[in-house]
Amino acid sequence: MSIREPTPEPSNPLGLGGIEFIEYATSKPQEFGSLLQKMGFSAVARHRSREVLLYRQGSMNLIVNAHPDALPGLSSPGSTPALAAIALRVRDAAYAHRRALELGAWDMPTRASAMELNIPGIHGVGDSLVYFVDRHGDFSIYDVDFVPLAGADPGPPAIAGLHYFGVVQAILVDRTADWLDFYQSLFGFSVLPQGQYFGILPRGTLLESPCRTFYLQLIEPPPGSEEIHWDEGLVRLGLGARDIPAATRALQERGIAFVDRGTVQPSQKGALTQAYLGGVNFELVVSHLKP
Amino acid sequence: MNLDNFGMDTITLAGPLEAKLRAIQDAGFTQVMLSAADLVGHPGGEDAAVAAVRSSGLRVTGFQVLRDFEGLSGHLHAYKVDVAKAMLRMCRALGSEVLLACSSTSAHAVGDPESLIKDLQKLAMLAVPLDIRIAYEALSWGRHVNEFPQAAELVQRADRANLGLALDSFHIFANKTRLAALQEIDPAKVFLVQLSDFMWEEIRSPDDRIETARHYRVFPGEGVHSTRVAEMVRTLDEMGYRGDYSFEVFNDDYRQLPLPMVAERARLSVKWISGLVSRRSLPARRSGGAAAVP
Repeated sequence: MSIREPTPEPSNPLGLGGIEFIEYATSKPQEFGSLLQKMGFSAVARHRSREVLLYRQGSMNLIVNAHPDALPGLSSPGSTPALAAIALRVRDAAYAHRRALELGAWDMPTRASAMELNIPGIHGVGDSLVYFVDRHGDFSIYDVDFVPLAGADPGPPAIAGLHYFGVVQAILVDRTADWLDFYQSLFGFSVLPQGQYFGILPRGTLLESPCRTFYLQLIEPPPGSEEIHWDEGLVRLGLGARDIPAATRALQERGIAFVDRGTVQPSQKGALTQAYLGGVNFELVVSHLKP
Repeated sequence: MNLDNFGMDTITLAGPLEAKLRAIQDAGFTQVMLSAADLVGHPGGEDAAVAAVRSSGLRVTGFQVLRDFEGLSGHLHAYKVDVAKAMLRMCRALGSEVLLACSSTSAHAVGDPESLIKDLQKLAMLAVPLDIRIAYEALSWGRHVNEFPQAAELVQRADRANLGLALDSFHIFANKTRLAALQEIDPAKVFLVQLSDFMWEEIRSPDDRIETARHYRVFPGEGVHSTRVAEMVRTLDEMGYRGDYSFEVFNDDYRQLPLPMVAERARLSVKWISGLVSRRSLPARRSGGAAAVP
């Protein structure tokens, strides 16, 4: 063992420090791009060699990958934008990757990454990936792979302080315990007590990242839904804001429609956008997190 | 209990996979326990084997068998991880929710519990994204783990939702493990029960044990340990075990007899077992609070 071997504390074994970026895959990047712009994101850079765009809003980086082999060995991107990857900020990406593999994670397929840089990653739920990124701050991963778009503000401000809050993951029946083991042992997530929910969709099991900057919501199919086609995968991005009515209004003014039927009404706690482009939606969640 | 609780095992039968599936189905079984050889030995390749299983409509009880996984290090461990991944992929392709993993017989395997637990946790983690449960079985000639209470302790300490036990009556009888120890196990942690018997009272040496296990097993009700089989099944039932049974019957004679004849013997064995535990098909009577719910 070398002297420089990291010696992380048990509660946050990887030195997790939030979401560096979220990646969507789609064969319709322009349509999705205009949806993202309505959601407050701006395109800020283009990949040097692939059909990949970097969007940004406040602290949020979002990558739209339309490269035909976006997920080699898996399926090509469909027209409905799909959550393809979560990139986690960690203290030491190589260490985080090595540790995950030692614990039984599956290495990601080679060249699956949107990046030219060798960003290590592992298989997550369904076809999704989890990347480990340790170059954030002054010298970022984007400097290597992306060319800034001419005239674009590299740091567009966030609408109503929007920031990454969490990701919703669909899982199969009786799979909650399996995925808890996955997120607890690989990353150090912890389970919030039953009944502690944010937002307007109080279902499933909430996991808090060890850095306490974002959440994962695991959702089994609701009882009585045997006829519904239900796959495991990342299904929705949650965006946090302090003032949900203000955020909802601002996005409505930009052309975003929110579900306003039944129990899913925009409220102080949260709001759910309608499903766009065949099934992609976003959830707003009242958030105590710092943007 | 009835036929729906039992998977017949392809290793008992001779012939091509399709013929085995047909014989199993014709005897009235709705499940089949498959082995990797069914896939990789198929003349049409793995995909054809998977298609045959899926189109049969038989539910897959489980997939066997990952050997000698735990307790290795360095390149031996890396090699076994590759093997495990390939087994898990096949298991997934078949729609099997259970992969059987036998305790290691390797002379290169260490036996300290911490290492074994770490490896079992790793195997369970590999299985999570594929929605597969690992059923860990104490092989009676396992190097360090050869009785089910040892396997149960490792599984308990590893504490992974998708890691549980496979109990095989042969190995339990061969090592004369106390059946009373079953009662110390959480029934939810039993992922598979494999039943078989054999036709002599004593197994005199480890070699004799391996030889008997691989060539001379018979169906429950056909051997000389019927009382113990009955005790095992009743105990499991009273504990609340409601999972699957399979017939782990390796028998050279059965592999040279007509398939329908062997499958019929399996069916008669189910009938014999059902006579021991007939009330299982009425779980509402036994499940306490749930019984009140219509």
